[in-house]
Amino acid sequence: MEALQISAMTLACAAGKGIGALRPALAEGRSGLRANDYPGCELETWIGRVDGVEDIVLEDDLARFQCRNNQLAAIALDLDGFRESAAELLERHRPERIACVVGTSTAGISSTERAFRELDAQGAFRPEHVMPWVHTPHTSAAFVAAALGLAGPVQTVSTACSSSAKVFATAARLIETGFADAAVVGGVDSLCLSVLYGFHSLELVSPDPCRPFDRSRTGLNLGEAAGFAILERESKHALGRLLGWGETSDAHHMASPHPEGEGAITAMRQALDRAGLPPEAIGYVNCHGTATPMNDRIETAALRTVFGDPPPASSTKAWTGHTLGAAGITEAVFSLMALADGYLPASLNCSVPEPGAADFILRDGRRERVGAVMSNSFGFGGSNCTLVLGAA
Amino acid sequence: MKITLRTLGCGVSAPGLPDLESLSHALAGKDPGTEMPGAAGISLLSPRERRRCPATVKLSMAAAEQACRAAGVEPDRPDAVFTSGMGDLAISDYMCRTLAETPDLLSPMRFHNSVHNAAAGYWSIGAGARGDVTALSGATDSLVTGLIEAAARVHCDRRPVLLVVYDMLADGPMRAVWQARHPFACAFLLGPAAPGSANLELSPEDGVREDDCPPLPSALAERVADNPAARALHLLALVSGHHDAPLRLAAAQGPGLRIARRT
Repeated sequence: MEALQISAMTLACAAGKGIGALRPALAEGRSGLRANDYPGCELETWIGRVDGVEDIVLEDDLARFQCRNNQLAAIALDLDGFRESAAELLERHRPERIACVVGTSTAGISSTERAFRELDAQGAFRPEHVMPWVHTPHTSAAFVAAALGLAGPVQTVSTACSSSAKVFATAARLIETGFADAAVVGGVDSLCLSVLYGFHSLELVSPDPCRPFDRSRTGLNLGEAAGFAILERESKHALGRLLGWGETSDAHHMASPHPEGEGAITAMRQALDRAGLPPEAIGYVNCHGTATPMNDRIETAALRTVFGDPPPASSTKAWTGHTLGAAGITEAVFSLMALADGYLPASLNCSVPEPGAADFILRDGRRERVGAVMSNSFGFGGSNCTLVLGAA
Repeated sequence: MKITLRTLGCGVSAPGLPDLESLSHALAGKDPGTEMPGAAGISLLSPRERRRCPATVKLSMAAAEQACRAAGVEPDRPDAVFTSGMGDLAISDYMCRTLAETPDLLSPMRFHNSVHNAAAGYWSIGAGARGDVTALSGATDSLVTGLIEAAARVHCDRRPVLLVVYDMLADGPMRAVWQARHPFACAFLLGPAAPGSANLELSPEDGVREDDCPPLPSALAERVADNPAARALHLLALVSGHHDAPLRLAAAQGPGLRIARRT
């Protein structure tokens, strides 16, 4: 495939707002997790909550999008010069030629939860909750397109935890086909009772800070994040390149991964094939690494199958929590930072690694310049997406 | 730009419209009625799974299976694009009510079925499809979203793609934001254009804010007005040869689509 340039990126998550804040947080092992203080949730766990989301007010035409997901998206758009980069993109291309593809799983559901808590005496939404642009999975892509003035195809990908990795593939197809010349891609998921109590009901939530790939890991922590990137054919100041992707299904179970990681293995191999790279060319893997006992064991085995001798790898979820529909973009940004900075982040909170992963899971960060990296995202419904990204 | 695709097979599943035969009667002017299609036509789920799976799965899977059968394509082969504006409204209602009242009693199965890609996931499991099965939303324009994605996949990968379009009704407070009274699902197995066959030519058009399509019999026009997924009836009518004139499908944001038949 023809590699696409990534000409801008931004990320807001619990570990920091913006690349400038995240770089030292990764280097110094400063996690963004905190004891659960999400309003209305009594669960004993840790969460990756972004400060100040509640304070964001969306004004004028954007008021119809007011919800936690879009407030968080607005924070990210204001970071890392992203709005300026989007404005420059609009100078190079007509708005009709710029696609907007955003992944989300939670979308505006925290607002829907609230509307149901505050039903009127007839059991209907109160007028202030009648917000058709909020109570739909499509809210985030629609908001970002409206906020940036993009008029190309506007699409929401909602495949649980692989959503915002798949946006890179969707956007690349739109560009290759000619529906667009460039794309703003990204992902947004925000904390809500649905995911906190939902993952709790599945007994996947840890009462402690999560420990991806550690032998004594006890489950995941939930987090929230918003991140975006600009994809185009040519860029004078590229931060990295999209070299390949793989998209597969487990065809196994709605909530449990395939026991041998078959879908994950195929996704990684497809991504390498599309990039035209042998496994040895990958210098770092940002793993899905949720810190559930099952995910990390199966992903370890899958990496062993694909690589034989896997490159240095880590999960960054102990910094951010599992940001679900935003995990793909969050970890794509971390992967691009690894390429640009020559710094491979540790698998924070992993002191005694999973048997079979001890030789490649990074317990400490490492200064090493690499040419290509891989990022894995696996979701409910057996949806797998692997990205291969290259240095600029 | 233009993309030319071939329609290899179609399917439909909606009240009174359990298959293409009932649709052709409705296109001829017969009132389809509102009897819900049964799940008997779904061969890819066991009887137990058919009873337990969400309504979105039953409806979308029936249409998807018809499209594969009509095309003579094994259902595990094509990549698939599921597109829905609202996903499973009954599960959203259950989730939000339970979280408001007794969050500790939330059902783990209903939670994992609440993801927007539940219908896509069940399809992959039932069909044994290990390729990509994605799930999109474009709110009321999810049909356009899905067509653009499916067309792009056929163009890039040069192999058939299954497009499944569905939306349910809101039977609770969500009616305030989604007024559909009838569910609707349909499916198209789309492949690269082939000379000598009936092809569809898709081209994006900027600024199409209202559908502009040849008229449908009143019972079907009411479905189109009722549920945004049923806007696909215009496309089913075009593909079936009910009318010849091109369609213009609108989008609130981004381009609409002009779709014409080419032989």
